[in-house]
Amino acid sequence: MITALRAVKFAFQNFGRNFWLSLITVSMLVLTLLTVNVLMVLQQVASKAIAFAEERIEVSVYFYPATAEERITGAAGYLRGLPQVRDVEVITSDEALRRFSDRHAADEAILQSLDEVGGNPFGPTLVVKAYGADDFPFILDALDNPQFRNDIREKDFSSFEDIIDRIRSTTDRIQLFGMVLSAIFLLIATLIVFNTVRIAIFIHREEIGIMKLVGATNAFVRAPFLIECLIYSLFSVAFTAVIVYSSVAVMDPKFSAFFGGESVGLLEYFIRNWYWIFGMQFVILTIINMLATMVAMRKYLRV
Amino acid sequence: MIHFKNINKTYSPNIVGVRNVNLHIRPGEFVSIVGQSGTGKSTLAKLMFAEERPTSGQIAVGGWDITRIREHDVPLLRRQIGVVFQDFKLLVRRTVYENVAFALEVAGTPARRIREVVPQVLKIVNLQEKGDRYPKQLSGGEQQRVVVARSLVHRPKILVADEPTGNLDTIHTREIIDLLRKINEFGTTVVLVTHNREVVNALKKRVITLEGGEITSDVEEGRYKL
Ligand SMILES: Nc1ncnc2c1ncn2[C@@H]1O[C@H](COP(=O)(O)OP(=O)(O)O)[C@@H](O)[C@H]1O
Ligand SMILES: [Mg+2]
Repeated sequence: MITALRAVKFAFQNFGRNFWLSLITVSMLVLTLLTVNVLMVLQQVASKAIAFAEERIEVSVYFYPATAEERITGAAGYLRGLPQVRDVEVITSDEALRRFSDRHAADEAILQSLDEVGGNPFGPTLVVKAYGADDFPFILDALDNPQFRNDIREKDFSSFEDIIDRIRSTTDRIQLFGMVLSAIFLLIATLIVFNTVRIAIFIHREEIGIMKLVGATNAFVRAPFLIECLIYSLFSVAFTAVIVYSSVAVMDPKFSAFFGGESVGLLEYFIRNWYWIFGMQFVILTIINMLATMVAMRKYLRV
Repeated sequence: MIHFKNINKTYSPNIVGVRNVNLHIRPGEFVSIVGQSGTGKSTLAKLMFAEERPTSGQIAVGGWDITRIREHDVPLLRRQIGVVFQDFKLLVRRTVYENVAFALEVAGTPARRIREVVPQVLKIVNLQEKGDRYPKQLSGGEQQRVVVARSLVHRPKILVADEPTGNLDTIHTREIIDLLRKINEFGTTVVLVTHNREVVNALKKRVITLEGGEITSDVEEGRYKL
């Protein structure tokens, strides 16, 4: 017990005496952790963005103007019965005409040509929303059912799928880049920890020599280095947590504004999972640092 | 107390440290080991506290066969042998008190015991007033006395001193030798490695002479020859 406390004391002394070395080490570890956290935030925002876009994908199914109303409601009922379908909006011919006129209220030429056609050229329309982008092929297939096929003039797929694909491929690419960057930083951080321990051993070689000659056990000689590496991990994760938390707190409302006031839930996500997120980072970082420290001690600490 | 039986120590690749050493040092003895530079005096001393392992032969310290002592047991041995060594200095960033306390701290001694022992050993070396000085605020002789004090914290049965007066003038040399003599009178076995003629002649104790790694003479109440 006494020995453990003293090893901790020695570790803190070493940390303080080689302050600049410690600072550089911790900074590098913080940098590494930040890339990992940025990656996590990105993941979170991207999935929100995809969900946001997916909510807005819809298929407009245009029926021939002559189609009987009960056939329309029948089709709507059939679609509502599908598990993939979130919502079906029925737009009658009159409603379609009104919307079209509204949309083009400023455009004389269009309104005029509409007049020339005479009557209502619009048929009834079903606007179908699904739960996910993947559900649309099934829904479109379902509409090919001979029951409806002959009534349908056209099926129009809104272009959100393009956007989703673009979000997906962009985030996938950023994610890959981020992972490579994290891996590189982690490698550098490991080397830096290794080098820090190497230098610390070199600086303390006299002290270590004395320790051994006056009968300190090997465990006691090694313990401060391992504890010091624990301190590095602890400080790094703590700093990172502070930086990430305050950045997220600032960014969260901005993201929400971007998604039309709908909260991204980023801050909430961090508040709810912080012990898990940063605990995991601490554990992994500590394991990696310990390994680097042990390799350095094996190589440079003659015992 | 210390038994060497047919001890050979060869450093790689082919350098003789000591050769064919047979030696018996009895409890309470004061033994000087003399010889020219490079004749194996330090090697002999290091073998006693397992800083080096013999290439062949057998070593026992206090009845404990340490010929092939396990790494794990070395700290135990070190706590029974006080060591004052040429290149075994004080920590410059710690005070005299802290330097002495350090040897106890790293061995897991309780704080209360440390507060007891440190003033005691500082008193033995007559530095009880200078506990809060830093090494560079002390003379060479005083520094060496702190090293001796540090070697005494575990109340060792054996004290091995390798050229403890190497860098000291005559007056400080006498101080250190008197100190070792005093420690010896309290019952500690003292092994002193030196090449100082006056010291050896004034001691009138057992002298072992090494030449080329071999013991060439071993006399009670000896004098420095060569
Ligand atoms: N660690 C070592 N590796 C190789 N050779 C050594 C080592 N230590 C001592 N020697 C050699 O062993 C011989 C005896 O050295 P040492 O015991 O230090 O002599 P002394 O203390 O009498 O000057 C010398 O030739 C020295 O160069
Ligand atoms: Mg020597």
